[in-house]
Order: sequence, then structure tokens, then C-alpha cells
Amino acid sequence: MEATAKSHFTGKEEHAPAKPSFAFWRPTAKTGLMSWLTTVDHKKIGFLYGSFALFFFLVGGCEALLIRLQLIVPNNTLLTAPQYNTMFTMHGTTMIFLAVMPLGAAFFNFIMPLQIGARDVAFPRLNAFSLWTFVAGAIILNVGWFLPDGAPDAGWFGYAPLTSKLYNPTHATDFWILGLQLLGVASIAAALNFIVTIINLRAPGMTMMRLPVFTWMTLITSFLIILSFPAITIALVEVMFDRQFGTNFFEVSNGGMPILWQHLFWIFGHPEVYILILPAMGIVSEILPTFARKPLFGYPIVVFSGASIGFLGFTVWSHHMFTTGMGTVATAAFSLATMTIAVPTGVKIFNWIGTLWGGHLKMRTPMMFALGFIWMFMIGGFSGVMHSAAPADAQQQDSYFVVAHFHYVLIGGSIFALLGGIHYWFPLMFGRRVSEFWGKLSFWVIFIGFNVTFFPMHFLGLNGMPRRTFTYDGNMGWNVGNMIATIGALILGTGIAIYFAVIIYTYLKGEKAGRDTWDARTLEWSVPTNPPPEYNFAVIPTVHARDAFWYEKHHQSEIEQEKAAQHQAEAAHGGIHMPFQSIYPLVASIGALIGAFGAIYHNLIVALIGGSLLFIGIYLWSLEGAEGYHLHPDEDGHDDAPAPKH
Amino acid sequence: MSDSAHSPATAGYVAEESKFAAYVQIAMLLAVITGVEIAVIGLPFATWLLVTVLVVLSVVKFMFVIFYFMHLRWDKLFCTILFFIGLILAGGTMWALLKLFGAEASVPLSVAVNTVADLSRLV
Amino acid sequence: MTSHAANGAIDHHHDHTTSTGIPNKKLLMWAFLASDCMFFGTLISTHLIYRLHPPPGNPVPRQIFDIPLTSFSTFILLMSSLMMALAVNAIQKGNLKSMRFSLLATIVCGAIFLGCQVFEFNNFVFEKHMTITNSILGTTFFTLTGTHGTHVAIGVLWLGLMYVRSFKPATGGQPWTTTLLHVVALVAAVLLSMKVVLSVIWALEAHGLSGATLGGVVGAQWLAIVGTVIAIGAERWFARPAGPVQFDQSNAIDVESMGLYWHFVDIVWIVIFTAVYLLEYL
Repeated sequence: MEATAKSHFTGKEEHAPAKPSFAFWRPTAKTGLMSWLTTVDHKKIGFLYGSFALFFFLVGGCEALLIRLQLIVPNNTLLTAPQYNTMFTMHGTTMIFLAVMPLGAAFFNFIMPLQIGARDVAFPRLNAFSLWTFVAGAIILNVGWFLPDGAPDAGWFGYAPLTSKLYNPTHATDFWILGLQLLGVASIAAALNFIVTIINLRAPGMTMMRLPVFTWMTLITSFLIILSFPAITIALVEVMFDRQFGTNFFEVSNGGMPILWQHLFWIFGHPEVYILILPAMGIVSEILPTFARKPLFGYPIVVFSGASIGFLGFTVWSHHMFTTGMGTVATAAFSLATMTIAVPTGVKIFNWIGTLWGGHLKMRTPMMFALGFIWMFMIGGFSGVMHSAAPADAQQQDSYFVVAHFHYVLIGGSIFALLGGIHYWFPLMFGRRVSEFWGKLSFWVIFIGFNVTFFPMHFLGLNGMPRRTFTYDGNMGWNVGNMIATIGALILGTGIAIYFAVIIYTYLKGEKAGRDTWDARTLEWSVPTNPPPEYNFAVIPTVHARDAFWYEKHHQSEIEQEKAAQHQAEAAHGGIHMPFQSIYPLVASIGALIGAFGAIYHNLIVALIGGSLLFIGIYLWSLEGAEGYHLHPDEDGHDDAPAPKH
Repeated sequence: MSDSAHSPATAGYVAEESKFAAYVQIAMLLAVITGVEIAVIGLPFATWLLVTVLVVLSVVKFMFVIFYFMHLRWDKLFCTILFFIGLILAGGTMWALLKLFGAEASVPLSVAVNTVADLSRLV
Repeated sequence: MTSHAANGAIDHHHDHTTSTGIPNKKLLMWAFLASDCMFFGTLISTHLIYRLHPPPGNPVPRQIFDIPLTSFSTFILLMSSLMMALAVNAIQKGNLKSMRFSLLATIVCGAIFLGCQVFEFNNFVFEKHMTITNSILGTTFFTLTGTHGTHVAIGVLWLGLMYVRSFKPATGGQPWTTTLLHVVALVAAVLLSMKVVLSVIWALEAHGLSGATLGGVVGAQWLAIVGTVIAIGAERWFARPAGPVQFDQSNAIDVESMGLYWHFVDIVWIVIFTAVYLLEYL
């Protein structure tokens, strides 16, 4: 009950406040554009992340289709070589940073606080700042499409010295650098927020080992973000300094070493791929128990394996550099470390199988995606372990074998889980459920299209087809493989189109879903209405066991008494404390956006204007304070009118 | 508020009263250690020994600041764990990078190698 | 539920509203500092990597660095850490006057450190001819120490804003112009006094210690000197006692969080001083 009341620790008592100046007006709109721009509600922020992510997923998909259409036949002329470079650069950058990561963030935001029995994240305005800074980063990355400089074209991994001013004189690379810096700031801020939330805002009785696995994966992913992004931040600063100020970080003629870029990038880049897959594993770990009607098998081992994968992910980065001549000892060490990571990953797979074993399987759409994940991710894992043997990798590096590997883990793994998660949590978020027929149809078309696209690439790679090459000759023996892959891509595109059409239709007109649609196990399903009320829980739950909601459903009278007592205690403490909305996170993000443009165009005035706006936004944000207002719903969640206090 | 009258301390926080003196003493200790470090570099001992001494002294300063000035000694253990995760990871990464770049294979070439003929001029 | 102990005193080390008892802001700052370890670790690694096999023609650190100067600035930064700890200690006991003094002392020490860095950078660029672009040592050195210096500058700014915030009246509010002018006065006092002191030192360096030299500096810098006096005067006027303020023990968490940042900047310098400066002399 202590967690429910506003923290007096910070002393932000409601003493008679001075009349607020114009700067501290509290936005109170609950509908309309302003309500979205000033929201601090984790559910709305999660929805915004998801919407932007799905939009950019389509953009990235179009970029992929253009790649595949260019490669459908040898010596094709659909795209020129420079255009092709832009396509694969933007496809990779968009899918990783603007689709998969924000889709993960959407779930972290919406689901995690509900799973731990909290009302919001620890720092709601910081959460909004992360969102709007992400939007700013997305704008910077894509603005090149509309400018003569063009969009970034040096690969999603931006190797030096290709990114130097000498080889890449236009601003395209600067868009990439600053776009990623903004995205990094957004990600780190969000991850810090999630760490504090999960550690500090758990409902009473929610010990760490009772946390849902998705929340555990959120925590581990957040640690990976805060510890790996600094490396790319520094790497990007170094390449930006080289381009803007003529420093020598990667300038060979003055003592620089381009290989340093590779190391710094992959010190970030490898944990990044675990950032992409761990949330997906968390989602699968929620879906399987629900639709197997059994608790997760080996919960402590699953959690520990996730943590091991996270930690080991920092020790393997040079497996992206086996062919750069690091020396025998280094190559062997990283090869061994990479093989080691397969162990906790395999352990998780066995635990998922153990969850299914002996269960009463309900083959709903989310379950199809989760089962597809297990199988497809395993295939991706097998090709990954093949890469870990450095001698074999000497042939596979930079070939389509790598492309096959990472698409199996990223689409077959991350995307399947995320698409399944959308189906799974759709009833909770929107109060509607997707039709089983159409959902399963979209799954099968996606599944078939995906495999037809990427399975041939294993063979193309082993037969020597190089990556990132805009065309190929007709006598290499790659014609059939490419044709099949492109046809598969068109099928996959159709499947995605069906998926999107179904989701949008369901959002607007789908069958209404009642509470606890799937008879699930975790707290997010315990809210009284779908979508959840703004304050999440009328009464903060007390947790008695893992799968807290399952316990609640099977100990109803005990829980009812507890809730009644808790409701009285909360009402006695002044009701539910809600944070005020705020415009300042948006102001600060706009400042960051303007500042980034100043940095891109080497314009000190614009950079200072942006920096000042960022500073003013943060300063007023800190001065407006964390006061909020109170709500007094009854036990069943019916509100009395909220009375915002100024 | 303007004089040093302090709110009554609860049991267990008597230690707060003497923090002032402790902080000053630690600051003096840190200054002395810094002085020792500067003196050490001039001493005629083996490099490996001096490097070890310098590193140890720096670590001692580091630990005093984080455990006393930053209060970790009296805070919940989780704060210490959290910080040390970052610290150890950073240290480990730095160590690995230095080993990688220090390896024989990573020594920069002494002459530019642009043609096959150049290869033969490498020692 | 409150974190107040039975006799009303705030318990600064236990927040009952959180699952662990650690205040949210403190946990946030420690997590951020763990991240910042990787940030500076990467930057320091870059510098050390480029010291492994310096290319021919690279400047030699021993011939460039000025250990007495850097030792002095290291000592100053250590003292600033002491002042910061005392500031936190003071506000946790509700001693506002002592906290304000300690914050100002921290700011002064931070400003002196920055002034020493300005002097050092100037010396390296104009007298030792090492720039950020003309060598790999210049590139890594200036980027690393410059980034650290930027962290110090951000800290000084934060300290100044916190200091000014401690004057907000408990009732009636304060026109934003007053707050702004107080900040401006403080910033101006720091920057202008730095300018004056550096000019004096440069003049002494160039022309030796004599009355004529000092006279010359006063002549050249009279505007800055007058500005400094006005700014300090203005700051003192804004800082005059004027009734109860809305800043007490309950704000200690904010001062403590800021203190954690400041101490971290100090310990990064401990590492830099050893790894970048001292190790070159072995």
C-alpha cells in the first residue's frame, strides 16, 4: 500500500502553490492532438511507438522489395549501383532501428508496467522524451530521401573509411550519423527508465523471481542498451569529428586505423542483435504457457539463460571480423566465445519445448507465430553456429549465407514473435480480437513467403554469391536461387499486406473482446476493462506467486478481501496519484532535432538554437515539478470525475 | 534554516554527524596519494613496478570516492552492483581491445602496401 | 508510507515507496553512471590503442605535457569533490547556508579546473603546435580531455542552476526574470573572472612578473574586470537573505543525484590523469 501513495520522499508536497506562470500551465486535454503530444501515459506512448514502428516496417519492406526486384534476374537495371547501396543501407537501418527496436519498445511500454502491477513507469516525462527523440531520429535518417544529398548509403554498419568525407562527401552519411545519435539518446533514456521501473515499482509481493519472463527480458534488454550504446555513440562522434573537423581517428595518412571503427561498431553491434531478439524470446515465453495451458517450464533457467545471453553477448563482437586478420589467438578466442552463446540459447529452446510437452495446446494465431518462432529461430541458430567456426566463416563472410542467417533469426525470430505479440495483446490494447481465419491465413502466407525467400540464400551464399552487390552475371549459377528468392519476397510482401489489412480492419471494426480473452496467467490481463483504464489498476494488486493473475483467478475470495482492504487504504491515502501531462519532453526533443540539423550542416547558429531549446525544455521540465492529480475510482474501476489540481 | 541546527537524528544516523570530518580527512588522503603518484613517476624502478604502483594508487582513490563521497558504503548493495556491472564491463572491453591491438597481427605496417611488389619490401 | 522517521526527520537513504528502498532518482543516476563507464571506457580505449604503436612524426607526450599544471588541476578537482560531498551533507541536515557555500565552492573549483584546461589547450596548440587535426595524439588527447571537460562544464552549469533554485521563495513565487538574471549574474561572474585570471597568467608567462605587466593586463582587460565586479555584486544581491525559501531537506535527493554525477566526473579524471598523463613518463 505504500507504493500507491505519492512519494513524499521528494518532498513535493501539495503546499499552496504560487500562481503558475505561463510556463507551468498543465496540459489537460484528454483527446485530440494535444493529448497525444503531451501524453505521459505509458500505454499511449507504447501505442505511438508501435504505430511509428509499423509504418517504418512497411517502408523497410518496400526497400527490401526493391532490392529483390533488382536481383530477380542477372544484370538487371531497375536500380543503379548507388541506388542499390542506398536501398540496402536504409533497409537494414530502418528495419533494425525504426521497426524492430521501437516495436519492442512499444511492448515494453504498454505491457511491462501492467505486468509488474504498476501504474506507469518511474519517469513518465522521460518516457515521452524518449518517444519524441526517437521520432526526431527517424526524421533525420529519412530526410535524405527528400534532399539532393540522398539517403544514407554506406551500409547500416557504416565502415570507415567509406564514411570519410573523401569517399562520401554529401550529407547522406551525416544524416546517418546524427540520426543514429538521436536514436541512441532515445534508447538509453528509455532503458534507464525501464530499469528503474522494474527494480523499484513492483507491486507488493512481486519478487524478482515472480516477474513474468517478458518483464525479465525487458530488464536484460535495457541493461544491454545502456551498456552497448555508449560504444556506438563514441564511434559516431569519432567519425563525425573526422568528417567535420578533420581529426584522424580513421585517417590512415595521419596514423588512424579504420579497423578501430569496426571494433567499436561491433562492440555495440553484437549486443544490439541480442537487444533485437531477447524481447521476442520474452513474448514467446508469455504466449506458449497461455496456449499450452501450462506454466513455463523451468522458469529460473529461462531467466538465467536470458541473463547469460545478455552478458556473453558482450564477449563475441569480433566474430563479425574473422576475416580482418586479427591473429590466431584473437580469432580463436572469439570463435570459442561465440560457440558458448549457443548453449543458453539452446537451453531456452528446450524449456519452450518442455512447456509445450503434455500441454493442452490451443492453436490460436499467436500460438502459430510462437511455434513458428521456435522452429525458424532454431534454423537461424544453426547457421549462426556454422559461422562461429572461423575457418568456415572465411568462406561465408560477406556472402548470402550471412543474409540467410540473420533473416532467419530476425524475421523468423524477432518479427514472428512481435507479430504474434500484436495478435496476443490486441484484445488487451484495443478491446477487439482478430479473426482466427484471417490471422492464421496471414501467418501461413508470411511463413511460406519468408522461407521461400531466405532458404535458397543459404545455397546462394555457399555457392559464392556476395552481399551488397547490385547485380550479378548470368553464368554464376545464381539465377534460379535469386528468382525463387524474389518470388518468395513477393509472397512475403503479400502476407504482410494481409496481416496489416487484418489488423487495421480489426482495430476499426473487429469483434469485441471481453476481459481476459485468452484465460491468461499474468497481471496485464487482470485490468477491469480492455483497453485498461488510464490508471491501470483500480487497486494495486498484491502478488502471491509467479503467474500472479492465475493465482488470483484460483483464489478469488482471498483476493477479493485483499482488494477491499487495499482499496480502503489507498482511498485513505488520497486516492490514485496520476502524473500531469507535459509539453516539455516534446520541446526538448524538437531542440535535439534542430541541434542535429545544425551539426549535420556544420552550422553553429542552428546548432546553438537547437541546443538552447533542448536546454530550455529540460530546465522548465525540471522546474515544473512532478506533482500530479488524484483520482478516486471505486473498487470496480468506476471513476468519479478527476479533479486536476494546479 | 540558516544555522547549523540539524534535525534530530534517528538511531543509526548518528554517523551523519561526523561525516563532515570524515569527508575532509578522505580529501586530504586523496591529495596525498596524488602527490605520491606524481613523485613515483620519477623513481628509478622497473616500469612494470611503477605502472602497478600507479594503477593501485589510482584504484585506491577511485574506491574512496565511490564508497565514501558517493555514499555506496552506506547505500543498498544493489547500487554498488549496478555500478560495478558497468565498470567491470568497461574495464574488460578496454583490456580486450588493448590485447587485440597489441597483438602481432595488428601492428601497423611499416610501409604502404599497394602492390604485390610492395609485399616483398615488408620486413 | 512516508519516508519520514518517527520524529519527522526525512530518511535520506530509504524511500518506502519503492520496492528496494532506493530512491528512484538515485537508482536512475547510478544506472546512468554505469552507462557512462562504457562511454568513457570506449574513449579512453581509443586513446590508449593509439598509444600502442605511435606513427613516426607523432608528438611525444613527455615533451608536450605540463605535469605541474595538470597536477594542480587534478588537486582542484579532488577538492571540488570534497565540497560537493559537503554540500549534500549540509542539505541533508537542512543547513541551507552551508549547502549554498559548498555549492559555490564546488562551482569555483570546477571553474578553476576548466580554466586550467583552457590554459593547457592553448599552450599545446599555440606553443607546442599540437592540434586536434595535425596528429593522432592531438586527435585522441583533445577529444578525450575535451569530452571530459564538457562533462565538467555541464556539471558546473547544473550546479549553478541548483544553487539559484535554492533561492526560490516559499510563497508568492518569483518572476522568471529574477531567476534568469540571477543565473546570468552567476555565469557571468564565473566566465569573466576566468577570463581575467587567464589573461593575468598569460601576461605573466609572456612578460614575467612585474608591475608593468600587471598594469598592462588591467588596462587590456578593464572591461572584463569591471564586468566581473558587477556580476559578483549582482549575484550577491540576488543571494541576499529574503525570507523562507522552497528548498529544504526534501530537495536533498536532487542535490545528491547531482553530486553523484559530479563525483563520477572526478573519478573519470582520476583514470585519465593516470592513464593519459602519468603513464607516459615511465
